[in-house]
Amino acid sequence: MPGKVVKVRRHEKLGWLERLYVPMIVKGLVVTSRHFFRNLRGFVSGKNRTDFVVQYPEERVDYPDAFRGMPVLVQLDNGQPRCVACGLCEFACPTDCISIVPGEIEGARIERYPEVFDIDMSRCMFCGLCEEACPEEAIVMSREVEIATYDRPSMIYEKQQLLVPESLLKRRLDFLRAEYDRQHAAAGGRS
Amino acid sequence: MLVEVVIKALFILLVAIGSFVPIITWVERKQSAIMQDRIGANRADVAGIRILGLFHPIADVIKLFAKEDVVPLGANRVMHLVAPVIAAVPAVIAYAVIPFGAVYAFGAKEISLVVADPDWGLLYIFAIGSIATYGTIMAGWSSNNNWSMLGGLRASAQMISYEVTMGLSVVGVFMVFHTLKLTDMVFAQDSTFRLLGFLDVLFGLPVPVWLDWLRLPNWGIFLQPLAFVMFLTAIMAENKRPPFDMPEGESEIVAGYHTEYSGMRFGLFFMSEFIEVVVIAGLVSTLFLGGWSIPYLSQETIIGAISSVFGIGFATGLCMILHVLTFFLKVIVMIWLQMALRWSLPRFRYDQVMDLCWKVLLPLSIANVFVTGLVMLLVQRGAA
Repeated sequence: MPGKVVKVRRHEKLGWLERLYVPMIVKGLVVTSRHFFRNLRGFVSGKNRTDFVVQYPEERVDYPDAFRGMPVLVQLDNGQPRCVACGLCEFACPTDCISIVPGEIEGARIERYPEVFDIDMSRCMFCGLCEEACPEEAIVMSREVEIATYDRPSMIYEKQQLLVPESLLKRRLDFLRAEYDRQHAAAGGRS
Repeated sequence: MLVEVVIKALFILLVAIGSFVPIITWVERKQSAIMQDRIGANRADVAGIRILGLFHPIADVIKLFAKEDVVPLGANRVMHLVAPVIAAVPAVIAYAVIPFGAVYAFGAKEISLVVADPDWGLLYIFAIGSIATYGTIMAGWSSNNNWSMLGGLRASAQMISYEVTMGLSVVGVFMVFHTLKLTDMVFAQDSTFRLLGFLDVLFGLPVPVWLDWLRLPNWGIFLQPLAFVMFLTAIMAENKRPPFDMPEGESEIVAGYHTEYSGMRFGLFFMSEFIEVVVIAGLVSTLFLGGWSIPYLSQETIIGAISSVFGIGFATGLCMILHVLTFFLKVIVMIWLQMALRWSLPRFRYDQVMDLCWKVLLPLSIANVFVTGLVMLLVQRGAA
């Protein structure tokens, strides 16, 4: 049951009843005790209890699309990354946590691909500049934040660990496109 | 005689300190959670059984015992090790003079339900309370840490200031009950007074007999309401829990006097705070809420009513059990009130704490002594 927002009008000057302090303490106690007894009754009877708690490991909050979690690579249907190893994200990254070694497939339609694509998550600050720099929508911020580990080497994510199928990132990609369109319109349609 | 004292002391240790203290560490978390629309501690489990988080106190103690007991470099080792004990022991022994039942005559044998009953009971509690200050100051001074030192200084300033107010605010109570002995105070509260009696005594207006049922228990809170508020404020400040937690000051001086403590020595500071909560609850219920007395039913009334049917021995025993239960019920109510205050009020600033003590509470408590004296004098005049 969600809580409700109550607007309180505050007085600049305190009245004599407020300056006496004790009546106002009693008033505060009445407010907290009302919550206490209502929730206690709800606790026993199992209903009508206000409760904002998300039982975290069992329950999760669905983060909004604008949320920036750890950066991941978009994986196309053929299993390959969409990335063309242009190095713009590597360049845009303020913490230098991305390292790319480009490779080339002779005769393919898109020749360049990243041979190595490592992100050092212990340095990444989830700023999202790589995502903005990317011309191919190949690196996006996911909603994944539970990346704690016991040692530093395992904080370095390699290409295979970073690849996420495009279908799972659809919400973020749609959000980005809408956001870019909005910015484009705000700039008067000039690019 | 000695055996009796030991049994009573063990009873108090087991009930008031042994079972209340671990439970109120749980109650504190759970009550604050329920007040703030949360759920509260519920994760500690034994074999998957959680029983509302009641295993949390056990988990805490195991953790505290398992932690390393660090003495920082440059600390005064002896003082650093002794300070928590000096903070915790007074809290435990203060309970000795708080009566948890009346005097019961079983044939020729009289049982008085209090561990020690000196004539200077209340003064003993003030004395013991002052010793607890030393533990805090020593902890702050001996840690060789600036935050601890500041916490210790704040503790000394705050606790010494509030001791003055605490002492003066209950003077009205000893004046009304004519005693410093806590047992006698509760006996005095085991009766009622006429709500409109002051008209008769002070102004000579006779109160009609049909209004005689309009009575209140002879409790300190009704006779000295201002003293109740001031005493509760002062003694909560003495216990240095929020909203008076200047010596700890989490937001400004790390953890104050116990910054450098770890393991069970930190646990002792923590425990002494909770023991003091129980002691304060016991003391306030003894002074102001009639201790073991049941409102409108004095000891003679209960024993008289039951003994006519079941015999005097059974009646006295039943009365004893009822009184002990009443006392602990009042203690529980006072603990609840302290927790509710602690989680409802915002913290004071350091200068506000001092202003409240020296500019508000101290003048008011002195005024209360004078007004009480004046009214008592008028009552004596009127009665004579």
